[in-house]
Amino acid sequence: MRKRKQTMALFSLSAALLGTTLAGCGTSSTTSVPPAKNVSQITIGTLYAGSGSFATSSLPEYDGLKFWANQVNKAGGVFVKALNKKVPIKIVAYNDQSSATTATSLYSQLISVNHVNILVADFGSVLTSVAVPVAEENKMVLFDQSGTGTTFFTPNNPYIVLTSLPNSGLWPDSLAQYLIGKHYSRIAILYDTNDFDQSQDQTLVTKLKAAGITPVYNSGVPTSTSSYSVLLNNIAQTKPQAVIEFGYPNNDVSFLQALKASGSHYKMVFTVFPGQLPSLFTSSVGPSAINGTYTYPAPPLISHAHVNYGMDSSQFIAAFKKATGDNANFLNIAGYNTGLIIQKTLQTANSLSQLSLRHAVSRFSGTIETLDGKFQINSEGAQTGETLPVGKISANAQGQVSVQLMTPLS
Amino acid sequence: MLSPKLVSRRSHMGTNVAIPVVLLAAFSVAPMVYANQAVIFQMMAFMVLAQGVNLLYGFTGYLPFGYVGFFGIGAYGMAIGIELFHLPGLVALVVGALFSVIVALILSPLLRLSGAYFAISSLAASEVLYNVVANPALVHLTNGPYGESLVQSYHPETSYIAMVVLLIVTTIIVIVIKNTAFGRALMAIREDPVSAEMAGIAVVRTRTIIWIVSAVIAGLTGAIFGWHLSVFYPSTVFDLSISILAIVFTLFGGGGTAIGPILGSVVLYGLYNAIGISDPQYFELIYGLLIVLLVLFLPGGVVSLLQRRGNYVP
Amino acid sequence: MLEYSLIAGILFGVFFGFMALGLNLIFGVMQVVNLAHGDFVVLGGYLAVVAYSSAHVNPLMSLILALVLFVVVAYVLYFPLIPRLTKSKDPEMLSLILFFGLSQIIEALDVIGFGNNPRSLPLAIMGSVPLHFLGQNYQMAWVITALVSLIMIGVTYGFLYYTRIGYAARAVMGNRDEAMASGLPVAQTSAIIFAVGIGLAAMAGVMSPFMIGSIDPSTGLGLTTIAFAIVVIGSLGNPLGSVLGGLVYGISVMLMQTYFSSWSNLVPYLLLLIIVLVKPSGLLGRGVRNA
Repeated sequence: MRKRKQTMALFSLSAALLGTTLAGCGTSSTTSVPPAKNVSQITIGTLYAGSGSFATSSLPEYDGLKFWANQVNKAGGVFVKALNKKVPIKIVAYNDQSSATTATSLYSQLISVNHVNILVADFGSVLTSVAVPVAEENKMVLFDQSGTGTTFFTPNNPYIVLTSLPNSGLWPDSLAQYLIGKHYSRIAILYDTNDFDQSQDQTLVTKLKAAGITPVYNSGVPTSTSSYSVLLNNIAQTKPQAVIEFGYPNNDVSFLQALKASGSHYKMVFTVFPGQLPSLFTSSVGPSAINGTYTYPAPPLISHAHVNYGMDSSQFIAAFKKATGDNANFLNIAGYNTGLIIQKTLQTANSLSQLSLRHAVSRFSGTIETLDGKFQINSEGAQTGETLPVGKISANAQGQVSVQLMTPLS
Repeated sequence: MLSPKLVSRRSHMGTNVAIPVVLLAAFSVAPMVYANQAVIFQMMAFMVLAQGVNLLYGFTGYLPFGYVGFFGIGAYGMAIGIELFHLPGLVALVVGALFSVIVALILSPLLRLSGAYFAISSLAASEVLYNVVANPALVHLTNGPYGESLVQSYHPETSYIAMVVLLIVTTIIVIVIKNTAFGRALMAIREDPVSAEMAGIAVVRTRTIIWIVSAVIAGLTGAIFGWHLSVFYPSTVFDLSISILAIVFTLFGGGGTAIGPILGSVVLYGLYNAIGISDPQYFELIYGLLIVLLVLFLPGGVVSLLQRRGNYVP
Repeated sequence: MLEYSLIAGILFGVFFGFMALGLNLIFGVMQVVNLAHGDFVVLGGYLAVVAYSSAHVNPLMSLILALVLFVVVAYVLYFPLIPRLTKSKDPEMLSLILFFGLSQIIEALDVIGFGNNPRSLPLAIMGSVPLHFLGQNYQMAWVITALVSLIMIGVTYGFLYYTRIGYAARAVMGNRDEAMASGLPVAQTSAIIFAVGIGLAAMAGVMSPFMIGSIDPSTGLGLTTIAFAIVVIGSLGNPLGSVLGGLVYGISVMLMQTYFSSWSNLVPYLLLLIIVLVKPSGLLGRGVRNA
């Protein structure tokens, strides 16, 4: 009998543990919109990747959002039209460590336990993807910062808004025009086989073919590729005038480094990320490896002239430096821009209900221009206002980077 | 007057029956007590996976590092069922299970390997599956790198119930296997395959059966999990940390028992969430340390503390 | 195209053979799978990057620094970890999990110490003039890395075949119980081989930014799997096997990149599966395993 007792004790212990774990993280209540008059703060729920493969991009974006919240709170809070007063912002953020599985339960935590007013996705398509159905199911608008996945935007789902980047399929529009305008007939394209890069390749190839240009080289490589010497040698055999590489930051770093070591020269070399993260490139491959290459330049490398909402580039750079001690990069601006869109939404919406927020976004879509460019979305919530121009990089030995625009800034 | 032996056997039976009953009760009530259903759902998923690992590692000694391969292929089988054959979600789960059986049959020669060779080879196999599924050449079948979007079939309640059912069935399977001749045959193979063969156990057949059973368990978990996510990329469902967590949970609780993996999943997954939500900066560090200490000081799992004192552990 | 792929594959492969060497020694002597192997390689890489960027230390100097530092670290790490592990019921399996935990710890410390951004070394440190060979240009950094790798493989070979510890290590690899029975200092040998194995991993790490472009905290696990594939392809306990495994890997990757680029990261895994199923003892293996 003693043994049986112990076994049962063990068993009830585990049952009790199950109960406490479930109950311990928070208490339950039903999901509903809080009565508007009692709202004393706006909570914004988001995730960031503190480690793993997305951390490089996710952390600076999160810093940008936090910077925005601090700025707003210093000014006494965000004006909420539904309450007709200023209310402070509170950010609730969890670390998903770049794992989509962990992100799923954390998004759910933000919605069902923290009852956040505004839901903001983590960086990039993979970590945003799992939030899309969760947000739709819970009827929460997902402020998607940079998840440009092709499958997220559907006609029947009003619960998503892309804030800071256009859909990746639209990125190479200007690039294609530029290549066609230059009458380059021998073009080599190397892309990574992921959502983000392959959709760019598809768009570019389609546009080039429409103009009668068939790339002399067009190959996909796994995203984990880090050795580019042999690939570059194969590209060199096709004698291209322009070499285009679509990758993630790590790929672009390795590609440019291998290109420099190979000693080959082309009229035009294009990579994606030097325009967004110039200091990453000057510190890891050196200024000379990106000097003279082409990229999609993004703020703060370029600045939009007609900013009518929030800080402009130079104000942002100065204020961000003062607040954090860091030099601002594009991802900081993307996070800050998400904050601006939220701010405008709260200023516009008649109530704090999610659909009202979403309608507000549609109402001001096309009317504001931030330091990130024109904010305009289509009926599915995808960003269409911002376009990515083509720019040529000059980098001096001290690591100072500037860009000369080769196509007009929308 | 009953003999003491009979009393103890009856009481064992009672404890064994209690396990699935308590699980069923707990996970039926849990969504009403705790609002974050995703945490409860994932805890169940890891419990099922941990039992699947338990069947292989706990009973036969094969450590399936690439167990997530079956999970991912189950999720993709389900997605193909919905996208290509336009099946309803519940039927598509069966397609997921079928895919995992096919893969298990193809990979069954791996069972000839022992020790670390099997563990790492199964990891390699899961990487192969991942890279094939994600390859642009398969874009018409799997949507390749673009990932799956099954929003039109999204049914969080039904998939939750499906996971509860899978958990109960899996637990019963483990209990039954543990208490029958089949389970004892598996244990005999784990201890010494050569003597087991001589004792008349059909080693190859027995281990192939258990391999397929555990593959189906992972495949169904992946299928239900994928259905519950409904938008996922190949990297989401072939994430190696899914295998690792399931193995660590099994190990923490104690392999070769029915209660060990359940205990491991409840405690460690609960801890995983508690740390993850409260103190994110040192999360990975704490988890790593925990694993190291576990292996060094409690290699037989929590249940070994009881077994050491001669107690019966279900 | 073919010649370039082959020669680049050889340079690449020699380095990867060297990178896998430490894993081979440790697994051979202790039956312990060091899943944190790749993370030690990454640590060596960080050492080279930090030494170069803060004090302009040439990576060739960092090689010695890495060897000394990591031999000491690993020797200290040996005693709380390995003896306890070897005494347990299933050391080989448990080692996978233990070292996975260690790998998580190192990764977390990398993030805290060096941040998440990829770090690299300018290839020009090793000379900016490419080597001209058979009508093609090969970057100097690759050639020098391959040379360093060859030298270190040679040194390791010498260590195993011409020193007392090396003799003991080979005896333990052959049969641990017999080695113990014949009075060889098995425990001491294990500790030294563990330290040397990790020291070699860190040395390979110093050169790794030249071969794999850049390193970040999450690079480790991929390197571990590649290393394990190379060890199995070659065969356990034989440094020449590692070279052979590395060459098979390097040349296959480069040929795949040339002809089927999108499938190129299947190479290590497919090679591993083919070898274990067809010839589990590896290409140079002589022993028969009962499986």
